[in-house]
Amino acid sequence: MSDIQALITSLGQDAKPVRRLWPPALRATLWLIFATGLIAVFACERGLHHDLAHRFERREFVIEWIGSLSIGVGAAFAAFYLSVPGRSSRWSLLPLPGLMLWLFSMGYGCYADWNRLGLQGLIPTTSFECLEFIIQTTVPLSIALLFLLRHAALVRPVSTTVFATLSVAAIAAAGQSLTHHFDTTIMVLIWHAGTTAVLLTAARLVSPRLMARLVAVPFSSR
Amino acid sequence: MTSSPATLDRGCDEMTDDEVTPRGHLRLVSRGNGCSPNWSQLMAQAQAGDRQAYTNLLVSITPYVRALARRALGNVADVDETVQDVLLTIHRIRHTYDPKQPFAPWLATIARRRVIDRVRVNATLAARDAALTDATLVDAATIDPTLDEPNSHDALFAAIGMLPDGQRLAVELLKIRELSLKEAAAKTGMTISALKVATHRAYKTLRRLLTTTERQP
Repeated sequence: MSDIQALITSLGQDAKPVRRLWPPALRATLWLIFATGLIAVFACERGLHHDLAHRFERREFVIEWIGSLSIGVGAAFAAFYLSVPGRSSRWSLLPLPGLMLWLFSMGYGCYADWNRLGLQGLIPTTSFECLEFIIQTTVPLSIALLFLLRHAALVRPVSTTVFATLSVAAIAAAGQSLTHHFDTTIMVLIWHAGTTAVLLTAARLVSPRLMARLVAVPFSSR
Repeated sequence: MTSSPATLDRGCDEMTDDEVTPRGHLRLVSRGNGCSPNWSQLMAQAQAGDRQAYTNLLVSITPYVRALARRALGNVADVDETVQDVLLTIHRIRHTYDPKQPFAPWLATIARRRVIDRVRVNATLAARDAALTDATLVDAATIDPTLDEPNSHDALFAAIGMLPDGQRLAVELLKIRELSLKEAAAKTGMTISALKVATHRAYKTLRRLLTTTERQP
């Protein structure tokens, strides 16, 4: 009997019933519900932006917020679908429209600030309240996401981690737009885009090792 | 959306290289000879604990996986190891298959990933081997003349004798008897990859053992 035949016999004898993984769309939806709940809790605790209704009357704010939300939702679905074998890599295109919308609105906001205030409009301000919110939202969101991804096979570990990170960052940014009391686009750009870039780089670097620890059957990167 | 490379969710007893496209994509082709067990259904039964269905499925997909592995890996031992890797992976992540989805793209993704992993391992081992050979040549040029002394040989052979069985066998066959990797693999029943790994580990162990011996008064 060859090694392969022996292996097949052995695996056949070990065929215990298994519980199927929930569909990616269901797991993504569950995570988004959790994210919405978490942000709602923070919004209740901190209070919404003092002039939120007026903010939503501004077209550029609405575009930016919808862009951020689209990235978060699209990247979450992309992460869950890409983590399952047999699903198309085209799922990675899902966050792209939101990303373009978000970058466009950010760039336009910076341009408007520059026109209105000159160079002064481009000087970033810092807000530790902003950083605190980012940490308070991204940590539980990341843990929940990893929890829901842990049984996946992760045939594309880097893409999955990158989209998961992007989703967390974008959802946190959309949530923060509802509660944050400053309205300085360049600051938001630096904090959000900067934090997202740092997180994505970290995800890219650590994902193979992280996923190798988290999932039962890791695959090599890419 | 599902992956495009595998087009039909059917299996046949015999698959050949012709059914792997030039880009290495798997393409399942129905031959219309009634030889196609329904892989999706077999996997659904396997997930429910049906051993016979699972064994049938694994037997049925093996030629298909072998065809893909053979396309990317020339070496028979590597192909066999990769097929085993794929079967083991399927076993461990069979819970990720959704019977509502076609089976072929699921299988194709796993098989392709495992083949890529094997190619990467081989490339890493080859690079390491080359680096070790270079290091040996450099060492030979700057070698301490006292190493030609009988005591040094004794120390080296004593250190080889202290190696674990697999490492010692690899060093003896490849470096002392100067057999090729293929010959050594045939003689020992080990795979070429395993021999390379054993040799590499033997170098490290020998270096440590000999350094320790030199430091001792």
